[in-house]
Amino acid sequence: MGPKQQTKPPAPTPTALADAELVRSCRAGDVTAWRSLYDRYAPLVHRFASALGVPVEEREDAAQDIFIAVFRSLRHFRGEAQLSTWIYRIAARHAIRLGRRRRTRENMRLLMIKEKPTFLVDPSERSTQIATLDRMLEKLPPKKRTVLVLFEIEGLSAKEISDVVGCPENTVWSRLHHARAEMVKAARRMVP
Amino acid sequence: MKWLEEPHDDAERLLRECLDQAALRTGDEITHRRVWAKVADAIEAPEPRSYGRFIFAGAATVLMVAAGLVAYPHIRDLTRGPIVQMTPIAKNVVHATAPTKSESKAGAGEVTIAGAEPQATLIESERVPGNVVRTRAGERVRVALGGGAEADLAENSAITWDSQHRPSIEKGMARLSVPHQPPGWRFSVTAGPYVVTVVGTKFQVHVAMNTVSVDVTEGVVEVGRGSNSTRLVAGDSWNGPLYPEEAHTAPAAPQERPSALPTPAAKAPVATTRGLQDAQAALQAGDTRKAVEILTRAAQGTGPAAENASYELGRITRYNLNRPRQAVALWDKYRTRFPAGLLRTETDLSIVETLSQMGDVRAALTEAEAFVARHPTSERRMDVQRLAERLRASETPASLK
Repeated sequence: MGPKQQTKPPAPTPTALADAELVRSCRAGDVTAWRSLYDRYAPLVHRFASALGVPVEEREDAAQDIFIAVFRSLRHFRGEAQLSTWIYRIAARHAIRLGRRRRTRENMRLLMIKEKPTFLVDPSERSTQIATLDRMLEKLPPKKRTVLVLFEIEGLSAKEISDVVGCPENTVWSRLHHARAEMVKAARRMVP
Repeated sequence: MKWLEEPHDDAERLLRECLDQAALRTGDEITHRRVWAKVADAIEAPEPRSYGRFIFAGAATVLMVAAGLVAYPHIRDLTRGPIVQMTPIAKNVVHATAPTKSESKAGAGEVTIAGAEPQATLIESERVPGNVVRTRAGERVRVALGGGAEADLAENSAITWDSQHRPSIEKGMARLSVPHQPPGWRFSVTAGPYVVTVVGTKFQVHVAMNTVSVDVTEGVVEVGRGSNSTRLVAGDSWNGPLYPEEAHTAPAAPQERPSALPTPAAKAPVATTRGLQDAQAALQAGDTRKAVEILTRAAQGTGPAAENASYELGRITRYNLNRPRQAVALWDKYRTRFPAGLLRTETDLSIVETLSQMGDVRAALTEAEAFVARHPTSERRMDVQRLAERLRASETPASLK
């Protein structure tokens, strides 16, 4: 009897089931399903892009690009991972690419001795804690930052993170360990 | 258990609090809706067939742009006539004089530059604080400001650079032409206590004895002093006192500015997303009346926030206050104010749905047909078409009366 119980697949969670249905409807061309999918994942994309350092003035464009990429490649989504994991993967890739472009621009700006850009603040994020966290996260290399954000802010498991960033679980743990140590160090510098 | 849930010191406590706070930043509903409007438009566009072709086209474009950037200064030199380059020996003041064929020093730290037609002379001055380019009566020069921007300096005018290397109109009049700046880049020019910030536009700054004025020909500019700022669009004019402290006014606030010109003072101020967030907070707290008040105020302004507020007013009236007819009137008002607004599709759709739910078959059918005609590529077109068919089928003689 024991083996039977082991082979029994776990009951899908309501969200997973709804995600699968949503993907099916989207693939069938149901436009309302597209809107539902957007409504469900827009806050996640916004939060993740913000934590990965996409500046406020680029966030709307970034979210737009991420969702266009999601909708256009939905037919390639095989359903092996959770839909959210797949969206995280697209968003992480996009945010890292944006960060690289931003750094290149900054370097060019320094070379051309142009005016420093004005960094805008999202009025919904006036919290000093958010600003403090952003300052600490800024110091982390992109790979460690992505892992830390996915684990500590987004609440993903190491397995899910390894799916998102495309590396072994051990590497995830190692990056997380180093990122945490650097964050604590940064926090100690901020607290007198 | 969460990491640092039992912190050892203040630093760890701060870090945990920051992480918890970050988990709550999900963006506001208005932003999500605005992004959706763009996403919906984009995903309806035909999908590119091959990424390889696009990567190749992108790489070619990058190469061409890079080559253009490298070659641009040389081409400009060749095509725009003589360029007067400041020399390190005498770089403090430049005078563009009436055309002669000579260049002569006019005194210590002052150079008279000549040799070109007044309207065609392009001065490439070192953009360092203290350098001044000055014109006398009857003279006119163009000054390169970096980043492809140029100032056409009228007679009896002067331009200099401030400590942040920003061009600064010292006196007289300058017509500025600024090419579109890359994302995240802003071009600023100062005039008296004001900073005019642009992304890409043409405008004119005039510094007179006691006033500063800005006239926008193309694009959008922002005039600011301290934390106050106002946005001007093409055709707008603005003026403010050169010495605001003496005038005892807050010049950047349009309504307080002394102005003889048709300035945006007559216009409503630009609404901000802060108001919308306050409205959202009020709604969440169950204070619909307060939310409506905030949105009504925000809707009276201009810009995207006002547009969103106008739409939101209709939505709250429909769903929170349950006044469908009033909601339709509000959405209709939105359509009049923002005929090509970002939320136009959503507004049209809301009107169709509300009229249909109200049982106003004739009006709903008219709106539905108008929607199908107006938004032939909308994702909701098929839904609305189906609704129109149902309405047509249910149209009875009674409802036609």
